[in-house]
Amino acid sequence: MRISDYIEQACGNLWKKKLRTFLTTCGVIIGVGALVCMFAFGQGVQRNIKDQFEEMDLLNYINVSPKNGARRDPSERDPDAPRAHDEPSEPAGDASPRVEMLDDDFIDEVMQIDGVEAAFPETRFPAQIRLGEREQFTLVQVVTARACGSELVQLRAGQPYTSDEPNEAMISDSLLRRLGNKKPETAVGQEVEIRTIRLDFSLASLMRMAFGRGDQRLPISSKRYPFKIVGVIERMGFGGAMPIRSDAFIPPGAAGRMRKLVLTGISDLFQPAEKMAGYSTVTVRVASPRLVADVKAKLDERGLRTFALMDQLDEMKKGFVIMDMFLLAVGMIGMTVASLGIVNTMVMSILERYREIGIMKAVGATDADVQKIFLFESGVIGFMGGVFGLALGWLVSIIINVVVNGLSAREGVPHIHYFSFPWWLCLGAVAFSVLVSLIAGIFPTIRAAAVDPVVALRHD
Amino acid sequence: MDADAFIQTEGLTRVYSSGPVQVTALRDVTLSVERGSFVGVTGASGSGKSTLMNLLGGLDTPSAGRLSVGGRRISDLDHDELALFRRTTVGMIFQSFNLVGSHTALENVALPLLFAGVAKKERLRRAGELLGTVGLEGRAGHRPSELSGGEQQRVAIARALVNRPQILLADEPTGNLDSRTSRQIVESLVELRRARSLTVVMISHEQTLLREFADEVIRLKDGAVTQRERLR
Repeated sequence: MRISDYIEQACGNLWKKKLRTFLTTCGVIIGVGALVCMFAFGQGVQRNIKDQFEEMDLLNYINVSPKNGARRDPSERDPDAPRAHDEPSEPAGDASPRVEMLDDDFIDEVMQIDGVEAAFPETRFPAQIRLGEREQFTLVQVVTARACGSELVQLRAGQPYTSDEPNEAMISDSLLRRLGNKKPETAVGQEVEIRTIRLDFSLASLMRMAFGRGDQRLPISSKRYPFKIVGVIERMGFGGAMPIRSDAFIPPGAAGRMRKLVLTGISDLFQPAEKMAGYSTVTVRVASPRLVADVKAKLDERGLRTFALMDQLDEMKKGFVIMDMFLLAVGMIGMTVASLGIVNTMVMSILERYREIGIMKAVGATDADVQKIFLFESGVIGFMGGVFGLALGWLVSIIINVVVNGLSAREGVPHIHYFSFPWWLCLGAVAFSVLVSLIAGIFPTIRAAAVDPVVALRHD
Repeated sequence: MDADAFIQTEGLTRVYSSGPVQVTALRDVTLSVERGSFVGVTGASGSGKSTLMNLLGGLDTPSAGRLSVGGRRISDLDHDELALFRRTTVGMIFQSFNLVGSHTALENVALPLLFAGVAKKERLRRAGELLGTVGLEGRAGHRPSELSGGEQQRVAIARALVNRPQILLADEPTGNLDSRTSRQIVESLVELRRARSLTVVMISHEQTLLREFADEVIRLKDGAVTQRERLR
């Protein structure tokens, strides 16, 4: 028999029992629909998270910092220098990498790695920012013009600075609000004053230390620098290892001209001297998320601590697999019930067509022919159930999207597509439905193939 | 063994088991049928006629003995080979017609060609042609329930011939028909046998018809051949 004949026979036989076929197929449709809906939801969640990461261009970044407790390479120690009697000796075979200083030379070396587009230090320093009469404390971050122009920065008003030199600043909308301006558009072009603190060992300072009171006893003075606001950005919604995480940004050229104390907190004072010698963190941007692993491996080899959100995404993917498995298990309940319906339908069909099977065998059908005829019937039920089940799942997802988005719009939540139907899910759903139906049809078809034609021809 | 025989059986035996009970339906049957002959098989109910027919048609396999058709040992064939034998060598007609009720006359006739892998267009052409041969060209689209007994049997004859078999086995083809229609059916078989050089083996209770048309009549009793009468 030809494949086209099997399909024609299957469709013809199913059509003769329309109601039963319809009801059995409905079971498959509901099963596939539920399965598809669950899976599409899982995919939707994954896609939304991934899209958000990609939209913010976060997957291309690697944060590099020296390892905590890492020591300089023992080979750098002066072999003639006496070892303090209470200093622990080096354990044999200690292969601790030497501490790599994150300085400008390091950045130049990193820029030579294939796939690296940019590398810039994360330099933040404490400052008071004044706009008009109001002043606020914040940590100002030094960010290159290139990074400011990337998707990392979501502008509310104005433009990012285009050069690393001018005294231009970008500030967040939340800092702007704290400074008394609720309209970002009006802030663009205004001048802010950034007041830094610095160590001051001048005679006047030393005199204050000797005879002053309270904070005047510290060798610290402040200096004011005028900056023009060129852009207002959205405050990032979450923290973590973001390459850009501050309320005020200035270009490195302007920062270099400022006298400032580069401390992000008191804890910085407790860092080992070698760590304090360079940048605390360098952010590396690679050309594509696909290159992150390679570049990260090269940096790891240098004994540095690296962090990439890509890794977090990989961890999340493992979680998604578990979620998918759970959703699949729930969805499979429907498919199991549907497959029992198929078994029942096929067994009934074989009982009804017992004599017909005998006739088919009498005129030359092999056992395999008979088996395939019924197996194709199962497959056609599965195919129809798969296609219409996919349509049902899609329809349900639209309804849920409309309802949920309608409700959440009142709360100001932006429109979200909660479901995702990648091509492989659509094809997979139909293929899976056919597969389950074929498996369900195996037992009945074996029975059909085993029919004794002599007995079947006598069957009334 | 007869060297000229087309169908040959030797010690053909069929025993059915039903739990501890064993029933010997056919016992040590040895016979030979010449190519192109018309052989009638008669006997009382339960004498083993249908069992013999099922064995000759490859629907059943013997418990003992040998069956050869055209020099080929049929009794040794496996399931698939028997199916091929039924498809290519044998055409069968039954007392109860055994047409598929949901198929039209044309589809019923074309059914064996489906399993032979013949394309649909060719299947329907050949089936239509055969329906014309048996005088049912105008009834091609009718289902069995819309046809008379004689018409149904003619559809069954057309179906039996559509694969151009060498042997036509008819198991009481006139059993459900009136005497006039019975005669027409047997006349059709005789005509087709002549036109297509068929070897016909027909089971019947109707002695008159057998004596009029058959070349030889074999009588069975309790599963054994009790008489062979050559008429022509």
